[in-house]
Parts: sequence; C-alpha cells; structure tokens
Amino acid sequence: MSQAQASSPAPVPRPTTIPAPAGVATPATRAQAGAGLAGRPTGTVEDVPRLLNRWQAIAVVTCIAFGVLAALFQLLAWQATGRAADNTEQLVRVQEIQSSLFRADALATNAFLIGGLEPADQRAEYDAALDQVLRQITDAAQAQPADRDALAALNAAVSAYATTNTQARDNNRQGFPVGAEYLKSASAVLRTDAVRVLQSLVRANTERADTELDGQNTLPLFLTGAVAVALLWWVNRQMARRFRRRFNQGLAAAVLMIVVITLFGTFFSAQRSGDNGDLRNGDFAVALDEASARTAANDAKANESLRLIARGSGDVYESAWTTAADAVDGAASPQTLPLWQAYVARHEEVVSLDEAGSWDAAVAEATTTGAEGSSQALDAFDVASQEVIDDAAFLTTDNLRSGAFTALVLIAVTLLVGLVAAGAATWGIAQRRKEYA
Amino acid sequence: MSAHRSTRAPALTGLLLLATLVAGCGGYEATRVPAPPAASGTPTTQTTPPPECGEATRSYAPTGALPAPTALPSGSTMAQIRERGRLIAGVSADTYLMASRNPFNGQIEGFDIDFVKQVARAIFGSDDPRFIQLRVITAADRIPLLQSQVVDIVVRNMTINCTRWEDIAFSAEYYRSGQKLMVRQDLADAGVDSVAELADVRVCAPSGTSSLENITRLAPAAVVVPAGSHTGCLVKFQQGDVDAITGDDTVLAGLAAQDPYAVVPEQETFTDEPYGIGVNAADVDLVRFVNSILERMRTDGSWRASYQQWLQPTLGQGTGQPQPIYGRTP
Repeated sequence: MSQAQASSPAPVPRPTTIPAPAGVATPATRAQAGAGLAGRPTGTVEDVPRLLNRWQAIAVVTCIAFGVLAALFQLLAWQATGRAADNTEQLVRVQEIQSSLFRADALATNAFLIGGLEPADQRAEYDAALDQVLRQITDAAQAQPADRDALAALNAAVSAYATTNTQARDNNRQGFPVGAEYLKSASAVLRTDAVRVLQSLVRANTERADTELDGQNTLPLFLTGAVAVALLWWVNRQMARRFRRRFNQGLAAAVLMIVVITLFGTFFSAQRSGDNGDLRNGDFAVALDEASARTAANDAKANESLRLIARGSGDVYESAWTTAADAVDGAASPQTLPLWQAYVARHEEVVSLDEAGSWDAAVAEATTTGAEGSSQALDAFDVASQEVIDDAAFLTTDNLRSGAFTALVLIAVTLLVGLVAAGAATWGIAQRRKEYA
Repeated sequence: MSAHRSTRAPALTGLLLLATLVAGCGGYEATRVPAPPAASGTPTTQTTPPPECGEATRSYAPTGALPAPTALPSGSTMAQIRERGRLIAGVSADTYLMASRNPFNGQIEGFDIDFVKQVARAIFGSDDPRFIQLRVITAADRIPLLQSQVVDIVVRNMTINCTRWEDIAFSAEYYRSGQKLMVRQDLADAGVDSVAELADVRVCAPSGTSSLENITRLAPAAVVVPAGSHTGCLVKFQQGDVDAITGDDTVLAGLAAQDPYAVVPEQETFTDEPYGIGVNAADVDLVRFVNSILERMRTDGSWRASYQQWLQPTLGQGTGQPQPIYGRTP
C-alpha cells in the first residue's frame, strides 16, 4: 500500500499564517495544532505528539494482545485436543476394565459349572483377566488424577469380587455347596459395587472428552482478530483525520498480517473442530460402543452359567441375559454382530435343553470348549470385539494427536505476527511523528 | 517514550499473566464416587400364632396298593406327569446332606432327593435322570410354585403346619426334625447354646421360613437377620455379619460340616419340624400316591437305607421313619 495522498476531502484551511504543505504540520503551525488540526474545532487544544504516542500505544498493545491472545486460544485448543486424546484413552481404559471384569466373571461362573476340576487354561485366562484389570486400574489412576478416588473405590470392589470368587472356588473344590452362594455374592458385588463406580467413571470421562473435543476456540480466535483489526482501523482513521493520508503504511501492514493469520488460524481451527466431530461420531463411537457390547456379551455368558447353576430357578438370570443381549445387539459393530448372533443361536440351544429338563446336556453345551458349545462362540466374539476396540481406539487417539506440529508452528507464527505487526504499527506512526516534527 | 513504556508494561504483564493462568487451567473435578446403596433394614416379621387345624401331620390315606407305572389311574395327576415324560420337583441345591449340588459331578443329591427318585420310579418305573427335572427353588418359592403348578411336588425340608395346609397339601410326615441353633465356637464356649441366651446375638434364618418366625417369637431380644437361604446365612456367618444360624437340625448339620468354626451345641430342639412332601392342594390323588410310596419305603427298607447314607453319620441312629397319621378329607 502506498502512503497515498488523500484525494478528498481537501485539507481544512488554517485560519492564519502561511499555508503548510499538505499533511505536514510545521513548527509554525504547532500553536494552531494546539488549537486544533484538520477538522478539529478551534476551541479545543490538541497535543498531536501526545495523541500520536497514545495511538501508537493502542496500536502496539492491540497487536501484541492479538498475538498473545490468538496464540493462547490456539495453545488452549491444541492442549484441549491433547486432553481429548488423553480422556479418550482413559475412557477406553475404563471400558476395558469393565469388559475384562465381566470376561473374568464369565470364565469364573462357567468354570464353576464344570466343578472342582476346572480347565487349567480357563483358570489361567481368568487370572490373566483379573491381572489386566488391576494393571488397568493402576494405569488409569496414573493417567487421570481426578479419577483416583473412584478408582480406589473400584479397586476395593474388584478386590472384594476376587476374594469372594476365591472363596467360591475353594469351597467348590472341597465339595461344599456354600461355594455356589459365594459365587452368587461375587457376581452381585461385580454388578452392583463395581459397576456403579465404573458407570461413574465412564460418565465423567465421556463428559471430559466431549468438552475437550469441543474446545477448538474457533470463534474466540476469529473475534480476537476482528477486534484487533477494528482497533487498528480506528487508529488509522484517527490519524487520517489529522493528516492528509487515508492509510498509514505501517498500520495497513499490521492489519494485513493480522487478517491473514486470523483467517488461516480460523480455518485450521474449524477444520480441526470438524475432524473432532467426525471422530466423535466415527472411531471414537465405535470404540465405546464395541466396548459396551463386549461387556454386555460377557455379562450374558455369565448369566447363562448362573442360570444353569440356579438349575431351574434361573428366570432372573435369563431376564438379565436378555437385557445384556439387547445391549449387544444395539452396540456391536458390523464386524462382530454375526459372531454374536452365532453365540445367541448356541445359547438358545442351551435354554431349550434346560427347559426340556435335559440339564446335563445344557451344561455340557454351555461348558464345552468344542465348536458345538456356546463358550467357543462367545470366545470368538470376544476376540473379534477386542480387536475392533483396539483398532478404533488407536485410530481415535492417533488422529487426535496428529497435527501437533502444524498447531505449534501456527502458535509460534501467530505470536511472531503479533510482534511484527506491533513493530509495523510503531514504524508507521513514527513516520507521522517525523512529518509532524 | 519512557512514559509509554511504563503504561504498556503493566498491560503486557497482565496479559501474559492472564495467558499463563488460562493456559494453566486443565484440572478436572474429581470423579464422583457413588455412595453404596442404603442397606435395607432388618425386616420386621409379623409373628402371628399359627392357626389351629387339629393334627397338622394328618394327611390323606393311600388308596390301596401302589399301582404299577403302566397302570396309573387314567386322568390322574400321576398319569398326566407320566404323559409329560418327566416329574418336576422343587428342591434345594445347597442344603448339604439333604439336597445339594455335588460339585464333582454337578448332580444334586441327598436325603430329600432320594424321595424324588422314589416318586419318579413309581410313575415311570425308573429314576433315570431323564424322567426327573429338579427345579432348584428357594424356601420362599415353595408354596407359590406349587400353587401355580410350576412344580409337581416340593421335597425341600418343608415343615408341615396348619398355615401351609391352607395353601397346599402335604404327604404324611417323612422325617421328624427340630429347630436348633448353630453358633460360633467362641460363643458356644461362652455358653450361648439356647434361645434363652440370644439377647443381642445376631441370628440368621432364611426369609419365608418357619425357622425365622420361630426365632422371632421365641427370642425377641435377638437380632434376627434374614437371608435368601441357609447357605446365604452361612456366607454371612463366615463373613462375620451374623453370630448364629437357626434352622432344622438336619440343615445345621450340613452347614457345620462346611465350617470347622461352627458348632451345633448340645441342646433340646425348641420346635418340632415334621417334614412333608408338598403337593398342590387340588392334587389329592398325588398326595395319596406319595403316601403309598412312603409306606413302600418303610416296608422295603429304602427309607432306612437313605437315612443311613446321608444323615446317620452326623445325626446318629435317629428315631426312624415317623408313623403316618391319616384321615384328612379333601
């Protein structure tokens, strides 16, 4: 932009003395300047150098404030994205704790049906599931301090569950019927104490992830740029009124830089926001839904075993099975739904045998590890479900963590733009000061 | 310019402070730890005196000799069961020695189960498992399931009394039990061995049973804690939630056998608990049929054999199979 002469309006004629060059206030005119420059009422006294200093201060503070605030909003957005990734990981971790717990319960109840001599690999899988739960609780407590109290409560519930299950197993191995009562107590601890805490953790981390996914500050960033441009425009206008220049080169350059970086930053922020929205409805939702499906599927399998343990008075467990099955139907991904339906067919055979009075055959079908049993069908679903969860969770956090370099460069450039714009504004106003001098 | 610097510096410092403060925000409110559900208080049990009905153990007399399985009276309840292909019996699965699930083979076995097998043998000519559907029920389920005809018979250490006669029918008495106390070893050592010693002692009994009603009536100073079953009481006992369990001596013998720190002190039974096989009130023919089976068990020695196998090792010789009292009319 050239420091073009204003074509109109014409400079206001000074009331006395020699006419000064357009736009230049000579010392001889300072007295008049004190009485008012172009367009000012002659009755007021205006100190132009002081005004220039004030405008320079406003312009510099505006540019630096823009740089700092815009960079801050971008920094907060970048941090929010990072925290969204952390919260997503925590949410998936909590869901996996729940899935692992119900997996352990499905294994424990099924092994109980078999009797004292449970299959060693089934026992090992139960132990591994509980170990994983305890490790995940520790990881979760390290990852999110706000969850520590809830995780401590969960740890206590898991401990009570594991202890009660051990008592069930020990009594079962000695042939004492009280073992079945302990098994029922363990399941009740899991489904009341542990699940209540897990639900609270899921709720809290879902809210946190949602909040952070929304934290891109697109509008505040745009408004910061708009306010900065408006203030610089105002300074430019004030100067244009007093000097015969429509635009000040320095201020114009500052405005241009701020407009460009604001538009670029807003575009980047809006794009990130859109990506987060896609993630929320895409991989993020898949990970959460599949984890819920895996939990419900193992809950169903445990209820199948409890139904058979109750032997004829298991209506309450069959109702619980139906509730869990409905949850799986509503949450399982297209990859795992056919596997679940295969299990459902096996379960219906178990129920059919049990209702026909063939309890032994029903137990055999529910406990065999062969292809004809319900356990293998459930295992197939469980493995596939875990893979879906892992993949979707990885894609979610990987996506959220990507773009960090661009975000950091943008933050640095925004800060730099603020400083350079302040310098440009200072230079531009200094030109007027020189003219005035 | 120094004046400008002095006005700009605080503004910039404030801006940077604000930025630092805002950027530093990121802590979350602690996740809420749900409060445990409020414990339901000890339910108050209405202890109304049992109605009088003469001799509660009086049942319907058998009609002659037991018919052959292939010659069951046409249209009778037994014929309908045979036509269905299986006898549905409500039993316990956690009453050690009486009816409990054997963890090693998954089968329910015990003194009560032998009576179910006898009924199946009389109807089908065999006690093969395919002719028997054992439905595990709680004590509280016994009468409702009989009334709704979900089960044909209930053999679940069920006491015959006048109150229950108002809802269902009973066979003749097949075992005479009595209510006793089982306590922790240290309490027994301290002399807690009767209902008179139960002030402030936490005593467990299954809800919906005469044991619960009896202990509430006979030991009002005791803290009565209900549970779903006697095994549920044993879990509470082992976890320190109760100090004693009350129930029939047969049941307590089974519980004590599962816990070395539980003892049934030497004591008089404080109630008489005549066990009968429960039947739907309308199935009088089935009651008569079952009574014929009980008679046959007396004569062929199968009652004695069953007692010897399950109860004699812990309860001793006992008094044998009770003499039946007949003469009840529908």
